[in-house]
Amino acid sequence: MFEKIKVSKYLAYLFLIIVSAIWAIPVLFGIVTSFRSQTEVVNEGFRLLPVNWIVENYVNILENTSTAPIMQWLWNSIFIATMHTLLVVVVISITGYGYSRMKFKGRDLLFFTLLGISFFPNVVNLIPSYKIIDILGWVNTPWAMIVPGLAGMGNIFLVRQFMKGIPMELDESARVDGASDFKIFSRIILPLIRPVLIVCGLFSFTGSWNDFLWPVIVYTDVNKMPVTAGLLLLQDVYGNYRMIGQLMGSAILAIIPTLLLFFFAQKYFVSAINLNSGIKG
Amino acid sequence: MKKLLMVMLTLVAVFLAACGGNDENTIQFWTPLTGDDGAYMDQLVEDYNATEPEIEVKHIITSDMYTKMYTVLNSGNGIPDLSIIHADRVPSFVKQDLLEPVTEIMEAQPELNADNYIEEAWSAGEVDGTQYTIPLDIHGSAMYYNQDLLEKYDVEHWLDDNVVTFDEMLSLQGQLEEGDYVLNDALLSWVLLAQIQNLGGDIQENGEPAVNTDAMRESIEAVKELNDAGLMTPYGEDGYLMFQSGNVLFSTDGTWSSTGHAQVEDLNFGVTNIYAFEPDTFHNRSSAHLFAMLSNEERSEEKEQGIADFLEFVRENSIEWAEAGQIVASQDVIESPEYENYMQSFFTSTQEQEDSLYIYTYEHYPYVQEAMDNYVADLVHGEMDINTGLEEMQKFVEDKVAEGSLDMENTELLDEDELEEELSEE
Amino acid sequence: MKEHGKFAPLFFVGPHIILFIVFILIPSIYGIYASFTNWNLVGSPEWVGLDNYKTILANSDSTFYSQFFNGMKNTLIFVGLSVPLMIVIPLMIAVALEHKEVKFTSLFQTLIYIPGLVSISAAALIWSLIFNKQLGVVNNMFGSEQVWTATQPYAWITIIIITVWAGIGGNMIIYRAGINGVSKDLYESAEIDGAGPIRKFWNVTLPSIKFPLIYTMVMTTAGAFNVFAQPLMMTDGGPRQSTTVLMMYIRDLAFSHGESIAGVASAMAVMLGLVLLVISAIQYYIMNKNATT
Repeated sequence: MFEKIKVSKYLAYLFLIIVSAIWAIPVLFGIVTSFRSQTEVVNEGFRLLPVNWIVENYVNILENTSTAPIMQWLWNSIFIATMHTLLVVVVISITGYGYSRMKFKGRDLLFFTLLGISFFPNVVNLIPSYKIIDILGWVNTPWAMIVPGLAGMGNIFLVRQFMKGIPMELDESARVDGASDFKIFSRIILPLIRPVLIVCGLFSFTGSWNDFLWPVIVYTDVNKMPVTAGLLLLQDVYGNYRMIGQLMGSAILAIIPTLLLFFFAQKYFVSAINLNSGIKG
Repeated sequence: MKKLLMVMLTLVAVFLAACGGNDENTIQFWTPLTGDDGAYMDQLVEDYNATEPEIEVKHIITSDMYTKMYTVLNSGNGIPDLSIIHADRVPSFVKQDLLEPVTEIMEAQPELNADNYIEEAWSAGEVDGTQYTIPLDIHGSAMYYNQDLLEKYDVEHWLDDNVVTFDEMLSLQGQLEEGDYVLNDALLSWVLLAQIQNLGGDIQENGEPAVNTDAMRESIEAVKELNDAGLMTPYGEDGYLMFQSGNVLFSTDGTWSSTGHAQVEDLNFGVTNIYAFEPDTFHNRSSAHLFAMLSNEERSEEKEQGIADFLEFVRENSIEWAEAGQIVASQDVIESPEYENYMQSFFTSTQEQEDSLYIYTYEHYPYVQEAMDNYVADLVHGEMDINTGLEEMQKFVEDKVAEGSLDMENTELLDEDELEEELSEE
Repeated sequence: MKEHGKFAPLFFVGPHIILFIVFILIPSIYGIYASFTNWNLVGSPEWVGLDNYKTILANSDSTFYSQFFNGMKNTLIFVGLSVPLMIVIPLMIAVALEHKEVKFTSLFQTLIYIPGLVSISAAALIWSLIFNKQLGVVNNMFGSEQVWTATQPYAWITIIIITVWAGIGGNMIIYRAGINGVSKDLYESAEIDGAGPIRKFWNVTLPSIKFPLIYTMVMTTAGAFNVFAQPLMMTDGGPRQSTTVLMMYIRDLAFSHGESIAGVASAMAVMLGLVLLVISAIQYYIMNKNATT
């Protein structure tokens, strides 16, 4: 028995080291490339360390504050992604409760119908979606990025299922004591679903941060854009002109905040998930 | 829950405090000029605003401008006062009634006339005798050469007449060191569009798209011959980067790439015409950035005057724009001695050179270009039979035209006022 | 015992339904309506009934017909190749991470999650440099002479590699959460029965994480059907349009340089949505059924 665990432990390590190396090397390569000159990239090709470390790529990116105010973009993104994430957490926990713990006619049919509709590719819906944002007066405001995503079904699906794993007896005994639905939700269920909310929050934050198709349409003001859409302005050009170092540099700048969040959130969702066993069939 | 609410409220407060107001009394000016191009245009706009005009210009850069134009035109809200569009959009925009003629602009500033601009750029904005745009620049195909490699293979004399021919390039067959190539396949469809002109062909016949033509076939076969002789960078390889790494004699990309190539320190390069069959017949497929006004009833006369003033300022001062690598359209600028410092001045150095710049103004040109972008790489690199390819391309364009023209009929049924009403209602 | 009031469900699911109607349902209905029209995005759509569907489904002479079937075929290839990998690889990683004696799990997890944060244009450039014939490592290391993005099956392989590389982080986290939630008692009783690690995985872990599997499979499939950035950036649909997925054709029709052909594009999008819906329903049905028996 002891031997078996040892062998499987080494196998697990071997597998993890190989996989994370394969996953990390291209990222490292990207980071290192952001410190190389165009001359070096085209002449030396793929190599892990630059011949000469340079910071000019970053200087160029940061200097151009009129057409590319990166710091402003980062701040816009932080605002948008944070607001979006907080609202998502509120909406999915309330809605998830409705679809898992309340009994009403046609509940599951309604849920799966909405889920099905949300699967339709939204590419040609761009015009009507824009019109709605326009009618609401949200063009060039952060609400255009914060609110529409709240309608998504994916996270609700996850939360609903997680809540189903929490024994119904908890609700029933509380109800015997005269608790209302709101009380059951806020006092009993909400604390228990924290782990799944943190996971959904992370997904929402990352998704909102990385969305670039929609913000390009709803923002005209370069100072109000989120960073991913803003960088697209740059990357269009860096890509077309193959300014490889600057393209990498801008991509690296854009991932730093999400990366920090991930480090921070990771501690929470690993420890929190240990508290209970919510996800079940 | 309470903590959540607090965080949200604080964020909203901080954010709203950070946002400034928006002045309505400005000319909203949209361009698709991302990156450095945008920065040069920003500088121009800033210089103009520094002259303290009555109405200032606000430059807004959009990475997906045409999609966004559709969205604002459709909703009738937030239509820009002035924008820069590409030459190949003009015919279909005019046909859909999306552009306002620049007649009044020209009256407000008499110097904004045909004589003061490169002819090809000016006429790209003319449809059925009405002028719809004022040009900013011409940009298009250009061929960069690697001076060091020309010397290495002892073929500098190819450039003597400023035109490299197919035969000249073919003469290097079998003589290249491994890893070296004579030319790359960047912007291949533009190169072919130039060859079609060199052969006296066209992409339309009596208004009908003509892709499956002898001129097209001959052009593709000729370029394929270069590929088959092992002179062209292989299919799927990044020929642009291979030129920068010094392995390719000629790169057929765009006038704007000179800034990119200049970033590579030891690349000793220059610019010339796209290769041709004969030294005395050569063309460079071009496009142009054009100032245009999207249809919008709400544009006031004061604003039109302001637009005219701005365009006149650009006409006089757009030497800044040469920094972006583009061929400036204003005659004043290209005749100035400063302009000679820019590599692209090559293309306006003589009347013959100026005549080589060719802009396709055929209404369905964008579909033709799209078909070529989808197919020609496969045809030239021998991945697909040329006859089959040409038939499919012809079909592709015809089918797209058929779908598109149904829409046109629909639009033409409405007269102008009705259309405008409809646009503003929706 | 107090049952919840008549309007209580409305309070819990109502707000989201309003959001759903405004931001998903109305645009989707408009999109479906557009599929029965000719529309250039600017003017008003002109009703043409089933014409667009007849063109893409039945008129074998039409370019749109061949685009639709070629795009659908390539989309299905992409789904078939990528979805199993996007399930199996993160599942294996999660199992390894949840091994009770493995340390540094946060480090491993972070390294594997980061690629999902890199913007697609930068990621595509990184990988095209890696696959580049002259400059790259792949050909130097393995001595192959392929131009990867221009030859099949390598073109698909590059697309799948970048997709899996950038896309498994989320699934990995869901599986970890799922495996972590499996009761320790189940493993202990399996051990008492003499089960080895592999049998424990098949008999205990997999049945216990049924929902995470269903969820990730349905969501990953939906994502794979909507793919366009990876093939666009890596191969531009080539060689010979063998990696042009349907979403690329749809976007070209609606937002390319020429006048927009949004009606046909909408019809293709609706068909894509229907196929996706049927496949998701089948997945859900089969997996739900298998696990209960």
